[in-house]
Amino acid sequence: MASIELLILFTLFAGILAFFASMIRDILGPVVTILASLFIFISIAYFGYNGELDMSTSIIPFVTFGFSYAGLFFAIIVTFIYSMVSFYNPFFAKKYKSPSVYSMFYLFNLVGIIGVFFTSNFLVLFFFFEFLVWTSFFLISFGKSRKAAISYFGFSSVGGFALLYAIFIMHNAAGTFDINTGLAVVSGTDAILVFILFMISAFSKLGAFPLHIWLPFAHGNAPHHFSPVLSGALVKLGAFVGVMGLLRVSVNTYQIDAIGLDLAHYIIAILGALTIVFGTLMAIRQDDAKKLLAYSSMSHGGYILVALTLGTSLGIAGGLYHVVAHGFSSAAAFLAIAAVSKQTGTTKMSELGGMIHKMPVTYIVYLIAIISMAGIPPMGGFVSKWLIFQAVIDQGLIFVAIAVFFGSIGSFLYVFRPLAALFLGQELPRYKGKIKEAPYFMMLPMVIFSVLIIYTGVFPEFFLDFINNIVVEVGAAPITLSNGVIYILNGTLYPSLIAAAFAVGVVIALIIFLVFPKSRKVDLMDTYTSAEFIYTEELLHYSNNFYAPLERLYEKYINIMENFYIGVSKKVNQLGRVFRYYFFTNKPEITVFWIIILMMALLLGGDLL
Amino acid sequence: MLNILAGIGIAFFGFVLQTSVAGFNRKVTGRIQKRYGPVWYQEFRDIFKLFTKRSVTHGWIFDFGVIMAVGGIIGTAMFVPLTTHTLAFAGYDNFFIYVYLIAVGMLGMAMSASGSGNPLASIGVMRALTTMLAYEVPFMIIALTIINLTGTSSLTEIALAQQGQFNWFAIALPLGGIVGFMSLMGMLGKKPFETYIAPAEIASGPMVEYGGKQLGMLLVMHEITVFIEVTLFMFLFLGGAGSIIVFLIKYVLIYTFANMISSVNGRMKIDQVVLFFYKWPLIMAVTQAIIAIYIGWVI
Repeated sequence: MASIELLILFTLFAGILAFFASMIRDILGPVVTILASLFIFISIAYFGYNGELDMSTSIIPFVTFGFSYAGLFFAIIVTFIYSMVSFYNPFFAKKYKSPSVYSMFYLFNLVGIIGVFFTSNFLVLFFFFEFLVWTSFFLISFGKSRKAAISYFGFSSVGGFALLYAIFIMHNAAGTFDINTGLAVVSGTDAILVFILFMISAFSKLGAFPLHIWLPFAHGNAPHHFSPVLSGALVKLGAFVGVMGLLRVSVNTYQIDAIGLDLAHYIIAILGALTIVFGTLMAIRQDDAKKLLAYSSMSHGGYILVALTLGTSLGIAGGLYHVVAHGFSSAAAFLAIAAVSKQTGTTKMSELGGMIHKMPVTYIVYLIAIISMAGIPPMGGFVSKWLIFQAVIDQGLIFVAIAVFFGSIGSFLYVFRPLAALFLGQELPRYKGKIKEAPYFMMLPMVIFSVLIIYTGVFPEFFLDFINNIVVEVGAAPITLSNGVIYILNGTLYPSLIAAAFAVGVVIALIIFLVFPKSRKVDLMDTYTSAEFIYTEELLHYSNNFYAPLERLYEKYINIMENFYIGVSKKVNQLGRVFRYYFFTNKPEITVFWIIILMMALLLGGDLL
Repeated sequence: MLNILAGIGIAFFGFVLQTSVAGFNRKVTGRIQKRYGPVWYQEFRDIFKLFTKRSVTHGWIFDFGVIMAVGGIIGTAMFVPLTTHTLAFAGYDNFFIYVYLIAVGMLGMAMSASGSGNPLASIGVMRALTTMLAYEVPFMIIALTIINLTGTSSLTEIALAQQGQFNWFAIALPLGGIVGFMSLMGMLGKKPFETYIAPAEIASGPMVEYGGKQLGMLLVMHEITVFIEVTLFMFLFLGGAGSIIVFLIKYVLIYTFANMISSVNGRMKIDQVVLFFYKWPLIMAVTQAIIAIYIGWVI
């Protein structure tokens, strides 16, 4: 039995402990974060899975907790990613001015997460939501850019206050702050308003189009070991809000019969589709590996949105499975990049090359992660994308499908770039002999993630079984599973069989390879160069502007949204200046102007009326 | 276990079949260009010769990628149905397996090519991936239409639906059939969409560093890939095959037709390929999907 209340208090205490422990020795604080986050993950996962979490409260006033499968699901995934990523904290502790504060906020973050996912009261939800935003704001500002943190805070605040408005509307309708009652009672125009506000909140957390500006900015500039949790875990908070808004608020605007969707949901699906396309196109042209992965997170957020809008059991299961698959793969990919950056000091692809020769384990981890991200079997991403594809096809959403398929093929393009430019290719002389593989302690979480990615792709039954609980909870029919085979309306998938076929194929290929004579090993520089004599590795390393011909086609249009926001801010600025000019000034001519207006109003007032 | 052996048998059959058909098509191309062309088993000679030659390797990823490529393709080929009832894993022949498991092989090849350290190979990979981005989306929209209409994503059941409820989808969805064939040309790397192989332009694209057994294995992979793609097209658009004879006839006809078109065409630039596919084929595919799904007009 584990009490949520005690867990929260424990985490708060552990955060403060980490702060003071760091004072004694730098390494102690991060060690506390590892132990505390592992403890929290294990207790939530173990007791939650067995249904033994205690939701009663006796110490903290006003706060109430309630159990929901959706909350438990997200809490397990997110705390798991936090606990795994915390293994990186000791290695980066010395890099920052105040590592003690980092450790403290890292654990405070977990307080917010447990609170958000387990509370049954809307006001408490808002409190923990803001607490989470506030603590992660400080964590992001540890990174390269203060502005990124401010941007994150700005967009998240918009989301938070949208949530607050929605809460007030529901309180008006239901007379209580209870989540289940509020979501069930709200109807009519109120429901539409609540739906829109919830969507603003979800979009701002997921970084979906058009509220996406902060995401690549914050992901790219956050500390290297915070980006994995930001992308793998924190962003998924948006999906949680999305589940509430999309699946539990019943909006009735206009039912589109051809696709069997409500207009409001269809608009969200289209925005999700735009998120996918935009994220993909931007990811293709990044030079910074972290920014590339950030844009890919954005496009995967779009997948989750599209899947959830469909509202069918297939769509919900696909979306939630994508939360798992993308959470793991994105965390693993970010961790791999963080490991590279720890050894080399950069994440720019144009400055790296041939890391595979020194960091083979990191390479394999990254490879498995991107196979899953691109949705290729036998990894977890394939199962979730397959469910989403089938759901979209089932509904006949043609225009959304264009984006969904485009994003899926486009992900091959962008995930391959760091692979080719950063890990493969020529081994650059500036790194030769200087770098080595990441420490074992850093490899541990990466390897665990890799094993899980393969596990989710080969044996999806465990996670899908759990997700079925949520599907039933929101009122849809569960997906049929038996012996590892997924049966749905218009298809059957047997992931283990696919993995087995792949394994057999590899064995055959290996036999063919070994039967024939052994190859002679030659140097990487010993390549075909059309009879040119080239002796510098950099000249033989193709990493800049990888997709130049493709990028040329759309590079004119990439700044549309940024320009729009800049335009909006300029207009707001101008409006402010107008107001300041006319109302807050000590210029005599303005005073005279107002006196004249006032006199005219007084003189003509009666006549005009 | 027996099923897996059957799957391996299908993959091997596909290799033999496609290599012979490709050899035959070298003769066809020859005749179109007023040459004699080589004998039909020339492709076999090429591949077996390569296996016995000396070779070089650029490190473990260079070899590992090749193994992964061939392994992924053999794994995909094991799911391929020959006729509507001859297949290794009945009931599990989901359409998406062919599109995405094939990608493991492609990824392996791309990885190996980039691992060679030759920039020309990376350029070839970039072109291959960009072409893929171009042809895949219109193709998937048509596949969406077909799956939505038949209500199943099993390849054999789609073929069976065309023998009963629907006409062949090449006829039932005429625009879709054209789009499907254009995408097939892209998949097969036939002109005008063969930029990523582009012989004599970037030293044979991704393959530039290969020789000996590695090149031989990649050629095997290429032949099986073509086998999978042509079969996929046949089952989606031409009603599959009821017997192995029908399968062989349809197979040879599709591939030869694609090859004949290829041999009288020029080559597009890579951005032209992208623009082309996102213009007409995509418009046609979407039009077809709207007509078929929303309006319900199927011939």
